[in-house]
Amino acid sequence: MSVGVALALSDLPVVMQRHPEIIRRIYERGGEPEVRFMYDDRQPVLPVWKDGGLDLVWWGNARGRSRCLPRTGWTWKSTVEQGGWGGSTPGLVRIPAALGLEKGIWYRVRQGMHGLLVADEQGRDTVYMICEPSSHYYQVMTRSNRMPALLDEQI
Amino acid sequence: MVQAYTILDRMYTRPRAVGHLDADCFYVSAERVRDPFLKGKAVGVLGNQGACVIAKSYEMKAAGVKTGEPIWEAVQKCPEGIYIKRDFHWYEALSKSMLEVMRRLSGHVEYYSIDEFFFVAEPRPGQSFQDLAMSMRDTILAELDVPVTVGIARSRTLAKLISDSAKPFGAKAVLTKDDEESLLAALPVTEISGVAKRRANRLLPWGIASCLDLARADRALVRKLLTSTGEALWWELNGEPSGVIHSERPRHKALSRGGSLGESTDDPYRLHAWLVRNLERLIEELHYHKVMPGKLTLWVGYRDGESGEGHARLAVPTDRFDLLLESLRPCLRQAWRRGHLASRMHLIAEDLADSHSAQISLFEPSSPRADALAQVKTQINQRIGRFAVRSGATLPLTDIYTDGANNYDICDVRGKICF
Repeated sequence: MSVGVALALSDLPVVMQRHPEIIRRIYERGGEPEVRFMYDDRQPVLPVWKDGGLDLVWWGNARGRSRCLPRTGWTWKSTVEQGGWGGSTPGLVRIPAALGLEKGIWYRVRQGMHGLLVADEQGRDTVYMICEPSSHYYQVMTRSNRMPALLDEQI
Repeated sequence: MVQAYTILDRMYTRPRAVGHLDADCFYVSAERVRDPFLKGKAVGVLGNQGACVIAKSYEMKAAGVKTGEPIWEAVQKCPEGIYIKRDFHWYEALSKSMLEVMRRLSGHVEYYSIDEFFFVAEPRPGQSFQDLAMSMRDTILAELDVPVTVGIARSRTLAKLISDSAKPFGAKAVLTKDDEESLLAALPVTEISGVAKRRANRLLPWGIASCLDLARADRALVRKLLTSTGEALWWELNGEPSGVIHSERPRHKALSRGGSLGESTDDPYRLHAWLVRNLERLIEELHYHKVMPGKLTLWVGYRDGESGEGHARLAVPTDRFDLLLESLRPCLRQAWRRGHLASRMHLIAEDLADSHSAQISLFEPSSPRADALAQVKTQINQRIGRFAVRSGATLPLTDIYTDGANNYDICDVRGKICF
């Protein structure tokens, strides 16, 4: 899986770049500002492509903000495919990312990850990162047995 | 100063020397060519298993990460580093583009390795060797976006030492005795390609520690300590080229295929599967070079440092899968150490005979069926993709075949002199 994703600041729309929730997530790597979205943040959010634009939505339900959604930030691809989320009217979304983070290792992602967008009991958008069993390479690299389902890419 | 290469070359009056062009952290640079996001950032390219850093950027090197280091140690030293899976298809494409540019810039270019080239350096009238070195470096960067370092000297060894010491993005011509000696005095003998720790230890009791010590040592002593290879280096260090620039790769004396087994194993079925996989790769190579081996060696390396070998001499040279596998099975039995975890395997084909002129055996029946089958397999794989059709004996390696990156390795890049 991935406990964090990063994007170059310049990849975000200008309006979003000025958002306080973005500004506090800006770091520098190699002289270039980037925005890091971490699951262990006090307010975990992820950028998702929604209705033709980029939006920030809650990343899972780690802190029990919702009483009806699972208290995690990830869901298995097989669960989605088998209709395990049927009752919550889910939608597949794209999570843009340049880098993923797992067990302290930042790895390059060409486009991003697949996400599942659901609404909590108050109608607030929440995204779960979709996972699949790790490839041999990913498993050795990160020592994790699940990896994010990447957009048009296999590592 | 100028060394001639052939009688015809001696007729030239233009000054010439030997050049060495080496791409700076090539795998990382290649990734940056297609992915500018990585520029200026600490980047590590990982081997196919994802366990070790096989190449690193200068930013990652500055953090203390070394080539070959496990990722778990690298990430401690460089937590902001970005890790990428290697892609030899892309590195080869870029390497061949570099070769094309090099051939335009010099009449004699040797494709030494995927990221290194030796060449005959011939400045244009009015151009100095230093100008030439800078011009070549800048041309490669302008046309391919790959940073390289160029060294020019009187011999290959000197040129390589210069480019190694001028990295990154350097260009340096050293052609006077004084400048050569200043350079050599500052470099330990282990900087010379071909002198590792064991050879250096042989030289040390004689007070030979730096490259300059070696260049000034008695030639007969160097030959005694390091054999004729060491003597050739001695000549090179003194500005006398002992080798030529190979514009074409000389014919192979041996062909080999193999490498890491990924996860170490003591499972004989998995080892047999690796044998078959490596044999299929070796046969591809035999077909490409139109040769057939008369001798085979199978080498297995174990995680505890042990190794085993098996040898087979073929009644007649052949490139048929069934016959080669039949010869190699006893080799695997000889090389196998029960209960030891095997981590590497190599198949080596020697005594290579030309396919068209190889002797035909009176005792080995020809097999039109086997030949036809091999042909169909080759044609399908050429059309659909490498390993689309492969022996069923490789089934225990499904995990290896599932990851497409395993299908192309550094040794599959053809035409280069060195591994």
